Amino acid sequence: MTPAADIPLKEPTISAAAGDAEQLERARIDASTRVPVLMFYASAMVWLLIGTLLAGFVSFKLHSPDWFSDVSFLTWGRLRPVHMNVMVYGWASMVAMGTAIWLMARLCRTTLRHPLIIVTGIWFWNIGVVIGVIGILMGYSTGYDWLEFPPYAAVVLFVAYALIISWAVLMFRFRRGDQIYITQWYLLAAFLWFPWLYAAAQAMLFVVPVQGVMQAAVSWWYANNLLFLWFGAIALGTAYYMIPKVIGRPVYSYHLATIGFWTYALFSSWTGMQRLVDGPFPAWMITASIAATILTIIPVATVGLNHHMTMQGYFPVMRYSPTLRFTVFGAMSYTVFSVLGILISLRSTARYLHFTEASIAYSHMGLYAFFTMIMFGSMYYIVPRLVGREWRYATLIKLHFWASAYGVGLMSLMLLVGGLTQGADQNDTSMTFIESVASVLPYVRGRTVAALLLTVSHFIFAFHFGLMLFGLGRTSTVPTFLNPVEAEGSEEHL
Amino acid sequence: MNDQTPPSTSLTRQGMDYGETSDVQEVHAAIQREKREPRVGLEPLSIWLIAVYGIAIFTGGAYLGRYSGNFSGDGLDPLGGPPPAKKGGGPQGQQQQAELSPRDRGKKIFAANCQTCHQANGLGVPGQYPPLAGSEFTTGGSKRPAMIVLKGLQGPVTVKGQKFGSAVMQPWDKTLTDQKIADVLTYERSEWGNSASPVTAEQIAGLRKELANHPNSYTEPDVLAVPENDELPGGAPAGAPPPKPGEAAKPGGSPPPPPKS
Repeated sequence: MTPAADIPLKEPTISAAAGDAEQLERARIDASTRVPVLMFYASAMVWLLIGTLLAGFVSFKLHSPDWFSDVSFLTWGRLRPVHMNVMVYGWASMVAMGTAIWLMARLCRTTLRHPLIIVTGIWFWNIGVVIGVIGILMGYSTGYDWLEFPPYAAVVLFVAYALIISWAVLMFRFRRGDQIYITQWYLLAAFLWFPWLYAAAQAMLFVVPVQGVMQAAVSWWYANNLLFLWFGAIALGTAYYMIPKVIGRPVYSYHLATIGFWTYALFSSWTGMQRLVDGPFPAWMITASIAATILTIIPVATVGLNHHMTMQGYFPVMRYSPTLRFTVFGAMSYTVFSVLGILISLRSTARYLHFTEASIAYSHMGLYAFFTMIMFGSMYYIVPRLVGREWRYATLIKLHFWASAYGVGLMSLMLLVGGLTQGADQNDTSMTFIESVASVLPYVRGRTVAALLLTVSHFIFAFHFGLMLFGLGRTSTVPTFLNPVEAEGSEEHL
Repeated sequence: MNDQTPPSTSLTRQGMDYGETSDVQEVHAAIQREKREPRVGLEPLSIWLIAVYGIAIFTGGAYLGRYSGNFSGDGLDPLGGPPPAKKGGGPQGQQQQAELSPRDRGKKIFAANCQTCHQANGLGVPGQYPPLAGSEFTTGGSKRPAMIVLKGLQGPVTVKGQKFGSAVMQPWDKTLTDQKIADVLTYERSEWGNSASPVTAEQIAGLRKELANHPNSYTEPDVLAVPENDELPGGAPAGAPPPKPGEAAKPGGSPPPPPKS
């Protein structure tokens, strides 16, 4: 143990020597997480590009269905699950694990032990996703949302997850300092929630299948819980780290954070069945989920207020810091996404919206506008620390941000409005079903435009990330700002 | 697992890997300039936030209470309506039946009691069970079929020019209520291309009183003694049957005797 190990984390002022020691410690921690985290990011980027191309393809096929319809593995029914699963397990889960491991190491103030085992786990995870994708393309999809991978792919993912996350959890065991920061709550909980969700869903759907319509209930429970308790928890944890870290100010309130965390855990886990309104289920099951969804307004208001009050007076920093801009966008989207989730889950509205494009809009707002944007923000923060270079082009970051923001905004708007017309038409008994499909056509075309925007955004980011990965970033002591800095001292904000 | 033992390179070497040493002066600039790890403030809860919690819990609880379907395992109706009627129908079953049209209720009663012999298509079984579809007994005045259902029928009978007689129809007056007999007659008289007037429970009740002292099953001559077009009093074309629950829901009311066919 070096003397640096004993420097308490929380200290009003630090001496120059202690500050140096702290920096040294961070450098050591970053060095230990470097290979696995970059590997997570690199794999995630590859999957993101694949998933994005698939998304464009799928979106295009929705209004031009004859395109490649004679090739079995390029049909809509196979490509769409591939797109979703590549995004969920390839991109989102991998970037989440990368960021989570880096954050965990930083906050536990301990180096990552056995990074090579994690690297092995990453290989396994990638292999698992590849196997699953091939399985779906060959027609062995299971047919449950977000669980389309054939069960044998899930086995590989389980092995990979065990290899990866046991070391992430063990870091918590070896943590130093007496304080457990908010981010650590979310991360540790998410590390334990994911295997529980995935194992429970696999067991109840494939190993010992539950009867009949209950399979649909399990499937929706899983999809919603994965969104909240795995992706959402890691995204919120990351936002709790990045926002105060970048602006250099404590999080507003510990009490709000506690309430926000526990109510999030409690209510989110009850959601899911609201997607089955009017289905052949006992009414109380669906209503309990809707009531829980209504109650998610508590964590939303609490966490949102906590972030807002932390940011209070520091919003101009978003002009300069890419990390902050992406993270705050994501944190704000969390509020919008959740409020929308409440509105579309009520029985009266769900009747119109639950079999329409609006539920696709909801998923994208959760997984993209909320989760993915925060992950982009964390990558803008973490990657320079791992490769020792600064992002090369501020313009590319700006393009990435605006293309992503407008892309996901346009997509959500198109699908929501499209979903409303579609739902109204479906419920209109004087219209045939095909007429209700035709009425969505303009909105589906608009979604393809949004998908193009997102494709541009992701390729820009992948290019930029590639430059960093191959050591072509800027060598500089000054971070890459989005805009020229006028104010004194702003360069600290990155 | 060849990687149980991590590479023994010191952390310093790892750091140098990408152009840095662990010398404090040369720690990467990003690490040097970055803020300290985040801390947590201790601001108290706002009273407004507590109000939001209260509203949310109240709304969620009220919603759960209103649409819980009485937390019943087989209650599909969020407003707590009864579960689907069980066979034989208890008090709940009757409540459920009240929501259906007489014809739909009749269909269920037919399926439960009559279908075994007369078949779902109303054609019966040649030589054994007479047909109801297009039968002169079913589609004529309402008195004849009502008599047969109430008291049963035995002995040879000729329906649509074919002879039957090997089977006995049991009397239903002990088993089925007036309402059920009325419903099943309404159904039979309007299904399979039949289009005769509906029958009400009051009409059956009247006939039941009239036949109270008739002990045995009817035979064909007994039934033929009643004029073919003899309607039961109290219903029929002129006097519309009293509105019943469920029937009111049908657009246009119920006066015209032939229901949808």
